Amino acid sequence: MTLLEIRNLKKYFKNVKAVDDISFRVNKGEIFGLLGPNGAGKSTTISMISTLIKPTSGEILYKGESIVKKPSIIQKKLGVVPQDIALYPDLTGYNNLKFWGHSYGLRGKLLNKRIDEVSEIIGLKDKLKKKVNEYSGGMKRRLNIGAALLHKPELLIMDEPTVGIDPQSRNHILDTVLKLNKQGMTIIYTSHYMEEVEYVCSRISIMDNGKIIAMGTKDELIDIIKGQKKISLKFDEFSEDVVEKIKGIESVKDAYILDDEIIISTENGETIFKDIITEVSTTNSSITSIDIQKPNLETVFLHLTGKSLRD
Amino acid sequence: MRVLDIAIKDLRLMLSDKKALAIMIMMPIILTSILSFALGGTFTSEDSIGKTKIAVVKKYNIATEIEDFRYSLSNGIVSENISKSDLEKISKGVEELSIEKIFFKDFLDNKDIKEFLEYEIVREDEALKLLNSKKISAIVILPENFIYDMYTNFLTPFRNKVEIKVITHPDMNFKGRIVNGIMESFTDMTSTLIVGKNVLIETALEEDVIDKVFNNMNDVIDDITVNLSNNSPEIVYESLNGRNPISSFSYYSAAMTSMFILFSAGYGGKSLLEEKDNITYQRMIIAGVSRWKILVGKFFTILAFTLIQIFVMVTFSTFVLKANWGNIYIVTIISILAAFAVAGLGTLIAVLTYKVGNYKMTNIFESGIIQVMAFVGGSFIPIDVLPKFIRFLSNLTINGLALNSYFRIMMGYGIGEILKYLALLVLIGIGLMFISIYLFREKERYYYVERVDAENYETA
Ligand SMILES: Nc1ncnc2c1ncn2[C@@H]1O[C@H](COP(=O)(O)OP(=O)(O)OP(=O)(O)O)[C@@H](O)[C@H]1O
Ligand SMILES: [Mg+2]
Repeated sequence: MTLLEIRNLKKYFKNVKAVDDISFRVNKGEIFGLLGPNGAGKSTTISMISTLIKPTSGEILYKGESIVKKPSIIQKKLGVVPQDIALYPDLTGYNNLKFWGHSYGLRGKLLNKRIDEVSEIIGLKDKLKKKVNEYSGGMKRRLNIGAALLHKPELLIMDEPTVGIDPQSRNHILDTVLKLNKQGMTIIYTSHYMEEVEYVCSRISIMDNGKIIAMGTKDELIDIIKGQKKISLKFDEFSEDVVEKIKGIESVKDAYILDDEIIISTENGETIFKDIITEVSTTNSSITSIDIQKPNLETVFLHLTGKSLRD
Repeated sequence: MRVLDIAIKDLRLMLSDKKALAIMIMMPIILTSILSFALGGTFTSEDSIGKTKIAVVKKYNIATEIEDFRYSLSNGIVSENISKSDLEKISKGVEELSIEKIFFKDFLDNKDIKEFLEYEIVREDEALKLLNSKKISAIVILPENFIYDMYTNFLTPFRNKVEIKVITHPDMNFKGRIVNGIMESFTDMTSTLIVGKNVLIETALEEDVIDKVFNNMNDVIDDITVNLSNNSPEIVYESLNGRNPISSFSYYSAAMTSMFILFSAGYGGKSLLEEKDNITYQRMIIAGVSRWKILVGKFFTILAFTLIQIFVMVTFSTFVLKANWGNIYIVTIISILAAFAVAGLGTLIAVLTYKVGNYKMTNIFESGIIQVMAFVGGSFIPIDVLPKFIRFLSNLTINGLALNSYFRIMMGYGIGEILKYLALLVLIGIGLMFISIYLFREKERYYYVERVDAENYETA
């Protein structure tokens, strides 16, 4: 069942086409990933879904009803974890949760019960009496998430919830996402970390420059570059002309230098290793290792855009 | 979400901000204490710093002057113009009428005067020493021939000039004025009596019915005494304001309170943009909280905080500084209306700051506008001393209106006397609120990304 449908959504700012005609559906019960580099338009898309800004054009339907026309349809059903920490640093964790509970109309016993449950989920139960500005980065992130969970949203949108935190907090958050999903919550998960999206999302759309350039399950996406291999060569030292030489090999689609390596994309040629070694030996470069990489979303992105997800 | 939830949260934030509390609650308390002690001379009265102490210097010699007066009755001009039997009556008058008793007992020891003045009789050089060390506020010098001249004035048709000199200390300007005023009232009163008597004597002399006149002399003497003890002499300070004297503690408590409530407008004025910078504003919008509720929440937060400020100030100044605010119900009404106007102002600043997108507005307000309003509104210098134009302007400032109202209630006026100030406060509050709503009505695009980014795009 489709919970959320985005149709030809656009948001143009003065000088930027932040979101440029995108369409997708989010099904009930899934974790939908939005993967894209900085400035891809992920947050802008989320702002429109969360009724914070109005689209330039296009439609957003929640259970078939337009939330562009009637924001209140989605507002109380939606939980949003903003990319930036949206909390009161001078209030305690408890008072923050209490306030955000009020903002969704929760109060009294029910609210206290929810604060209890949520602080358990985010693992901050014994830290609630502290002021938020005494929290570590990871704790703030977790409280930022907790504040969006109090009203048990049907749809939870998380905008880069793991930016700038330690691996431990990050794993905790990722596991929380999976746990919430298991309890039936539909989640839209945004990140520019390919590993995270791969780990938690059932379906992924890859955004770049305001457009969705690919969409599907992880396997479907990797299928896009089926038959393609990525080989990385490490050298002791290498001369500039080696890249051109490698590019000259028939089965090589592309080759470029990344740090001290040369990355080669290839259509599975039988003789590829032999060819590479032959070509390299005509220069004064010497190979120390050859690595064949399994394709992943990073490779897909690279394939589709010619650039790396993180730069 | 209820407006109350927003206001409670904002109040929590304000009360947890130690710096804000220091500026908005501690500063006025400290400043009031300092100013009242330092500038106490300007507004003093007995209930604050105690009675005004003065020294009285007698430059006359009572024994010889009475002798001289008696002598002049039998020799010289006086005796030439008055018949012998009358002279006898006059010298009997000398026995009955004691000038010292009139000045000291009937006048200075009069219970109304005693509330203000405490005197001691000392030598002149000693008095000057006391004045220089500010142990007393003024010296009253009764001149040479004081007794002689007073007798002459009271008992004969002649009039000699009597000059009571008052020396005051420049630092105790106001107390000096009080003493001067009291002395003036003394001479005024005696001269009315003397004038009355002289008319009587002069016509009597012409019509040669001096006997009759001196039959009335006793009445005249009684009159003097009765007048002194019944009609308390007018005191300059009282006639200045026409009402209760106000202690410097009371005055500065009201002045500082009126001024510092403006700071909560400035502080509250930041909070809307702060919410936006914190993304909490956006988060509330996402939760479906109406922006109008957020705005009204700010209004009530500022209102509540202002009331807390006033409450703390009134309580502190009443119990610690012994300030007298007057009728507490009227003070409460003034406070609520002043807080209402301040909240309107704060809301407007909040909207402007939010729209402009930086804190320049609030900084200008806090470092500039408040100072001007404080000056114009009489928080530093009493309005009465300021030029008329500024006195008019003060009625356009919230602090000026609040101070004027508090001031009048302290002096014992009724609420009727301050209705126009209260009405202005309400009007200002409503007016500012309307402007705020008008400016906030247009829904601009708010940025989800960090503000710094958004600014870059604007200029890009
Ligand atoms: N308020 C705004 N005014 C102008 N341009 C904007 C505004 N908000 C976003 N943009 C632009 O729109 C584009 C998309 O921004 P957006 O924040 O949606 O990207 P993102 O995918 O969330 O990136 P990140 O990973 O850095 O969060 C960017 O080029 C950004 O500069
Ligand atoms: Mg973003």
